[in-house]
Amino acid sequence: MTFEAEVIAWLPQLRRYARALTGDYAWADDLVQDTAERALARWSAFRPNSNMRAWLLTILRHLYIDQLRGRREIAVDDESAPWRNLEAPQGEVDGLVLRDVQRALYCLPLEQREVLLLVGVEELTYQEASSALGVPIGTVMSRLSRAREHLRALLAQGPAEGPSQGSAPAARNVAPLKVVRNP
Amino acid sequence: MNNDDYGSGLPEGLDLRTLSAYVDGELPDAQRVALDTQLGQHPQAAARVSAWRAQNAALRALCGASRREADSGDARDAAAGSAKHPADKRRSAADEPAFIVLRRTRPWWQRASLAACWLAVGAGLALALGPLAPRLTGNAWGGIWGNAWDRLSGQPAGFAQRADVAYAVYSPERRHPVEVAASEEEHLINWLSKRLNRPLSVPSLQEYGYSLVGGRLLPGEAGPAAQFMYENAAGARLTLYVTGIARNETAFRLFRDGNRRTFYWVNDGMGYALSGAIAEGKLRTIAIDVCSALGGKPETWNGEQ
Repeated sequence: MTFEAEVIAWLPQLRRYARALTGDYAWADDLVQDTAERALARWSAFRPNSNMRAWLLTILRHLYIDQLRGRREIAVDDESAPWRNLEAPQGEVDGLVLRDVQRALYCLPLEQREVLLLVGVEELTYQEASSALGVPIGTVMSRLSRAREHLRALLAQGPAEGPSQGSAPAARNVAPLKVVRNP
Repeated sequence: MNNDDYGSGLPEGLDLRTLSAYVDGELPDAQRVALDTQLGQHPQAAARVSAWRAQNAALRALCGASRREADSGDARDAAAGSAKHPADKRRSAADEPAFIVLRRTRPWWQRASLAACWLAVGAGLALALGPLAPRLTGNAWGGIWGNAWDRLSGQPAGFAQRADVAYAVYSPERRHPVEVAASEEEHLINWLSKRLNRPLSVPSLQEYGYSLVGGRLLPGEAGPAAQFMYENAAGARLTLYVTGIARNETAFRLFRDGNRRTFYWVNDGMGYALSGAIAEGKLRTIAIDVCSALGGKPETWNGEQ
């Protein structure tokens, strides 16, 4: 498979990850576009036998953080946070109401959200996640377990607020749980 | 972090990181088997594990099948399937329309040569259209463009500008438009020929309805210059400006300033400029005729403006 074809083959997964990460489809599509362009422009920076997906995710992450700084938004309790424009998911999985999971996911600080998505959804190994995030495996493990506990706490608290999952009151209640601003 | 309860309620040797790695299948086989049995004895740890697995499943449903959330069972199946068959993940994500537009970047040398090409095209356009710019922009830039153009093309705009100014100064003059009137044409020609140190001749423009008013001596760029003035029945005036020019170039150019137009050319060491405030095409026709009458070769101008 050529380098180019391999990059393109990863695009659907990059897009899915970017959507989950940003909570904003348009932004995610831009990110993937930028990532693909940068990857193709910097093909010489890719070491042939290394992990292409981790490399692409690293590029995407750097772009995202850059753009995040540019946008200066992302207070998760911000009523205008991009993920609030997402369609609220219906139904539940394993006893978890998807809508609550969505809200809780975007209450996590970026460091926790990304590792949770990379390992939990994209099924990266710890080694791959470590390389994509540019941190040691031990840090991946710590962040991941903290993210899971954080999410669990958010989900345990969320439904207690009553059946009105209409986001506004619930969101205000979870706001204090936002611990860290994004890096 | 807010997880002050980090590891709380868990038995010795069982921390959250280990449980996390267990959920993710990152533990070595031996440790995993050991943990299998440990979990049976520690419901709290087991609850963590199942809660996290549920999180994973929910997150996958949220992300992987978010476009098909109408049926959560379907979403869950898809999520479970993707967990078991990683290859399936691509399928669900590939359902999305592929609208990535890849603007392939070119190697630096291609970009550089492309840039060079555009630069060349731009420069060529500037050279080709420069003289037209005054026509397009009215007149304000005419002088500047004319200068720039003339400098670029090595043409002597200086005498054309002097001719233009002389026209502007003297053509409105009612009482003293000339120093020597046409009634003394012979004297006029002799005098100016002497001063310019060249035998001059005054072409007739009767054909166009302009008759000679007379002429005057003017300071030129590097010596004397002569100005002959013509006038038609309506009082419109043209001037023919003549001066010595060191360079011998035959290009035929137009210089615009305001509503004034000056066609100028160089022939046999003399610079000629015909100025007027009449239609450009008309003036051009007259200028070509004048040039021809003065021994120039107007046929060489056909490619010019």
